[in-house]
Amino acid sequence: MASTQHALLSPAELAYLHASLSLTPPIRPDGRAANQFRPLAAETGILPGTNGSARICFADGTEAIVGVKAEVERTRRGDGGREDGVEYVSSRLEGDFVEGVSSGEGAIAAVDEADRVGESEWVELSVEIPGARDDDAGTVFLAAMLAEALLAGGEFAKKLWINRRFHWKLYLDILLISPPLSYPLPLLSLTTHLALLATRLPRLKSEGDEDPFFDDDWAAAPYLYARKDGKATARPPVSLLVMAVGNNIIFDPSKEELAVADVALAVSVGEETATTTAAEADEAQQQQQPLGRNLRLLSVRTIDPPSRLTPPGVPNATNSAYGAATTQKQPEARAAESEAVEGVWKAPRGGAKALVMAALVQKALMRGGVADEVLDALDAVDLVA
Amino acid sequence: MPLDTSAYGLALLRVDGRRWNELRRMHVQIRTQAAADGSSYLEMGHTKVMCVVTGPSEPGPRRGGLGGTASGGGASSAQSKDAEVAVSIVVAGFSSVDRKRPGRGDKRILELQSTISSALAASLHTHLFPHSTISISLHVLSQDGSLLAALINAATLACVDAGIPMTDYVVACTAGSTSTYAANDEAADPLLDLNHQEEQELPGLTVATLGQSDRVAVLVCESRVQVSRLEGMLAVGVDGCKQVREILDRVVRDKGHRMLLEGTVERGVGLDDMEVD
Repeated sequence: MASTQHALLSPAELAYLHASLSLTPPIRPDGRAANQFRPLAAETGILPGTNGSARICFADGTEAIVGVKAEVERTRRGDGGREDGVEYVSSRLEGDFVEGVSSGEGAIAAVDEADRVGESEWVELSVEIPGARDDDAGTVFLAAMLAEALLAGGEFAKKLWINRRFHWKLYLDILLISPPLSYPLPLLSLTTHLALLATRLPRLKSEGDEDPFFDDDWAAAPYLYARKDGKATARPPVSLLVMAVGNNIIFDPSKEELAVADVALAVSVGEETATTTAAEADEAQQQQQPLGRNLRLLSVRTIDPPSRLTPPGVPNATNSAYGAATTQKQPEARAAESEAVEGVWKAPRGGAKALVMAALVQKALMRGGVADEVLDALDAVDLVA
Repeated sequence: MPLDTSAYGLALLRVDGRRWNELRRMHVQIRTQAAADGSSYLEMGHTKVMCVVTGPSEPGPRRGGLGGTASGGGASSAQSKDAEVAVSIVVAGFSSVDRKRPGRGDKRILELQSTISSALAASLHTHLFPHSTISISLHVLSQDGSLLAALINAATLACVDAGIPMTDYVVACTAGSTSTYAANDEAADPLLDLNHQEEQELPGLTVATLGQSDRVAVLVCESRVQVSRLEGMLAVGVDGCKQVREILDRVVRDKGHRMLLEGTVERGVGLDDMEVD
């Protein structure tokens, strides 16, 4: 299964693209630097009917809209908390406090952060690509990749915890509006990121394990990702598309560039929520460390680049049109097995080298690198929820 | 929650404060997306739809191409003399108040698709593009009644943006009646542009006309209504379509004027004579 679509390029065009992308520095068809993202326009809060929404347009014209909707759902017995927690609920309802204390020590105390448990089923993510069925393998793969990054570590699902008996069920609907001109993973991931940052859930008024009761003042609703001074203290992950051609590592490839990729990776990056004190920041300044975020790798997936399925070029030496003797019965079959000739396209074979993979991941995680740049850019978007 | 129609008789105001012949606020944008051949964004009250048109182009698996099964209506043969108008509607899960996921091949969606497809195929000059497909993809972002009307208006605008020759705008509007079918009230007033609440309770119809004329292109009535009331409803609906056409036409002209000023398009022959205000 090729997870990306084919670009209609001839072997000669592919060879040309591959050669120009392998130069140092690489020359990309749209003139970007190797680690430059496409310019984008973003807005949030476009749909008042949702808990959070965002829209992003990339400069190449691709556009996506994400809407987040939340519903209160009853937590099934046994999966929202430890067993003793469930016992505790029932015993407290009977008003039998003493037994509650004896069965789960300290359970009577206010539920602290550590007690929160999240389930990955509390998040439902769907991707809609125009022209593709929703059970299309590529679409399902995209949705799985986005969900995997979001749920990695279980931190996200914990935010949906209301009390031991109820939780929020979060529906993320991701719509690609434009025709898929390039592999839409970065676009969809960034839009989801923004929508989640803009997501607000009604403020809880009830206490403890009662049936949840919410404040109907939307202005008082807290953000799903807590904010301080207009900045999010934590943020959802972003998935970046990185590819390698020759010795070059190229970010955010277009469809044509992906068609000649040796390796393509989807790297999901989250931000470490380490609170740096002023003293630590000073220390970092003195040590001349590059400023930036503490990035954390959440997941890596290889994308099957369409380059593996492209037809090989035929070198002039073996091309009968250029006077080569056609002694072989099947000249095409021979051409496919021929050795690499400079300037003749040959589809990449075999898996990616471990060193290349490591370099790709490292480059994505670099302080002050592309991921930082993207997160900074998204930070600058005003949140209207 | 049932709609309380008893208050209408007192002040002649509807639940959202409109009079019987008032449209909801319409916000229309054209050419919203650079990558598409044609695109539009349309709000009728809280109903919000987006439209992207690709083509006319060669049919087949290509960018923005629609699978044969996903498209609605139109002559499906690639060998036909007329262009096929393939419409696909995606209703976002977050569009209504309660999130629901309509399955693939929802009959209601299929019907909307084929209605829009046949309405537009009649107005577009499809004979100029033999063996080709015009794919119209519609996204419903928010629903509050008059969905079909909003979809038709958005699709028309996107086709205008795509530069596909057409006889006139296909503009649509809904009309209803102030009392329910069961009330059997002969004195019921007709209503213009129903919202979701009204659509649930009252008889209503969607009418699309060809531009300023009285020629009806689409007439869909899915509720029970006395025949005596139908004429009034239809007259109000057709009148509403004329208002909608004015709004759409204004948007297209404004956008065209701006594009001329910005130099996005060349000032063509005869454009100086055209009244651009």
